[in-house]
Amino acid sequence: MNEAASNGKPLLEVEDVVKRFGGIRAVNGATLDVRKGTITALIGPNGAGKTTLFNVLTGFYKGDRGSVRFGGEQILGEHPYEIAQKGMVRTFQITKALAAMPVIDNMMLAAADQPGEQLRNLAFRPRAARAREKQVREQAMGLLGLFNLDELANDYAGTLSGGQRKLLELARALMAEPTLLLLDEPMAGINPTLGARLLDHMRGLKQDLGVTILFIEHDMEVVMNHSDRVVVMAEGRVIADGEPHEVRRDKRVIDAYLGEVVVDSAAGEAPPA
Amino acid sequence: MTLAVTFSSLTDVDFWVSVLVLAGIYAIVAVGLQLNTGFTGIVNFGMAAFMAIGAYTMAILIIKAGFSFWLSLPCAMAASMLFGVLVGLPSLRLRADYFAIATIAMAEVVRLIAQNARGLTGGNQGLFCDINNPSNCYTNTWNDLSDSINNFISNFWADPPSLLPLLIVIWVTLGIATFVLMRLQRAPWGRVLRAIREDEDAAQALGKNTLRFKLQSLAIAALLGSIAGFFLALDLRTVHPLDFEPLVTFFAFSVLILGGLGSYPGVAVGSVLFWFVLEGTRFIDLPDPPFTETRIAAVRLAITGLLLIGLMAFRPQGLFGKRQEMVLGE
Repeated sequence: MNEAASNGKPLLEVEDVVKRFGGIRAVNGATLDVRKGTITALIGPNGAGKTTLFNVLTGFYKGDRGSVRFGGEQILGEHPYEIAQKGMVRTFQITKALAAMPVIDNMMLAAADQPGEQLRNLAFRPRAARAREKQVREQAMGLLGLFNLDELANDYAGTLSGGQRKLLELARALMAEPTLLLLDEPMAGINPTLGARLLDHMRGLKQDLGVTILFIEHDMEVVMNHSDRVVVMAEGRVIADGEPHEVRRDKRVIDAYLGEVVVDSAAGEAPPA
Repeated sequence: MTLAVTFSSLTDVDFWVSVLVLAGIYAIVAVGLQLNTGFTGIVNFGMAAFMAIGAYTMAILIIKAGFSFWLSLPCAMAASMLFGVLVGLPSLRLRADYFAIATIAMAEVVRLIAQNARGLTGGNQGLFCDINNPSNCYTNTWNDLSDSINNFISNFWADPPSLLPLLIVIWVTLGIATFVLMRLQRAPWGRVLRAIREDEDAAQALGKNTLRFKLQSLAIAALLGSIAGFFLALDLRTVHPLDFEPLVTFFAFSVLILGGLGSYPGVAVGSVLFWFVLEGTRFIDLPDPPFTETRIAAVRLAITGLLLIGLMAFRPQGLFGKRQEMVLGE
């Protein structure tokens, strides 16, 4: 797609990461790079270890071995909040909208550098907290407008539809001003119209804000048409890594995963089932 | 069988002042629980321990170490908060239900130490004023202050109830605590707490050090617990291990549920209602036999329990809780 982007420097370097659950190696020596300024898709059959790898990368699971460098810095073993503060922000496969909080609070929560989150600042620098709060609210309303959620700002997040929650989670992640966004099945369970909008947003983020995106996806049409790079996992390892057209012809990938998809793309023009 | 109610005691001002004193003390405890359970999502069953540490530290520092009353209070608050942080550091990493169990255990450990460290705590006799040495008594400074407050009040109200000054101090403290916590809850700090209550993983994924916020929440609850402990010690004039049984925490939880999860002002109303029912049922005269004094005590608790069950059936969010938040929170 974008040659310059595809050749960009790696923002995230994952080397030989292992995550065991008892005797099962859910991630078994995964190695991959995510280049700066790209949209990279992470695909693979169910149980390939994609979500587990996400959890290791973002600190929710402790990796047993290997190395994860983000912007050149080793982050394996750090806490999730430390990794998020460094600019790697994730969403979850099952959306985690903070249901009993208003949409606007969901958004404002995610803002970085809010001095009002510290008790001593509330006591001694209340003005700084209030001033930042005002900025954050404006920023949040702007993003909500972009995602067509601004009219729902004061509704509880729990009253939103599944698709709206996906949008809210993406918008909320953006409030944290990430440099790398990890999206776990952003298209799952949302209607095609909303899905198309989500894809537009992802492309806009890359082009306008320079956000790098790594996303897990099962819809091959989305993967092949909307990503710059594709990483394929199977049985806890990365079996292929390249541009979409290279990956789709890769023998190992066809054997492990795409076999069925060749049929899919033969009927490519037909609407997805 | 006759069921009669005598109203003579219902007009007894001293009695109702003492009920309001208890209601205020439990409201302070329940406000701490509201912060933990209502707004942070951590179920703290250990408030009795913080009360005990507050009361015992104050009394021991005055009686055994010769501290002044006013110096003993901040020391006791600090001890309680420090204990809260030490207990929270390992246990707040656990899942919410395991944390709840850990806090019950903590409260029982504290109570059993109080019962058995006789040299320090007086064991099962507790700490109280020595009649032979009235100068060395933890209530002295408070008694003097209380007398001067009542002297002042007697300008307007002849012969005020002896517990009135304590009542005033307790409810002013409760008012301040409620005000400050409501302000904090509306601040960005409170927003992070609510996010932790809703989904701790989501809060972490957005860069929040959730353990730190939970520790702060617990430390503030410990502070409130210790203050409630002072007031209980001043009200009862003894510090005794039985005053800090797990039942104390569960009463405070009843107050919290009655008032409604997620509402600070609701706690005060819930506490007054709870204690009026629990103490008001004293005036139901039941024939003896079969109703002996101990049986009537049990009946009173049963009535209070029925009230709570009824409330849960018809108004599960409590008097002031938000039903929508409760339904959506699941």
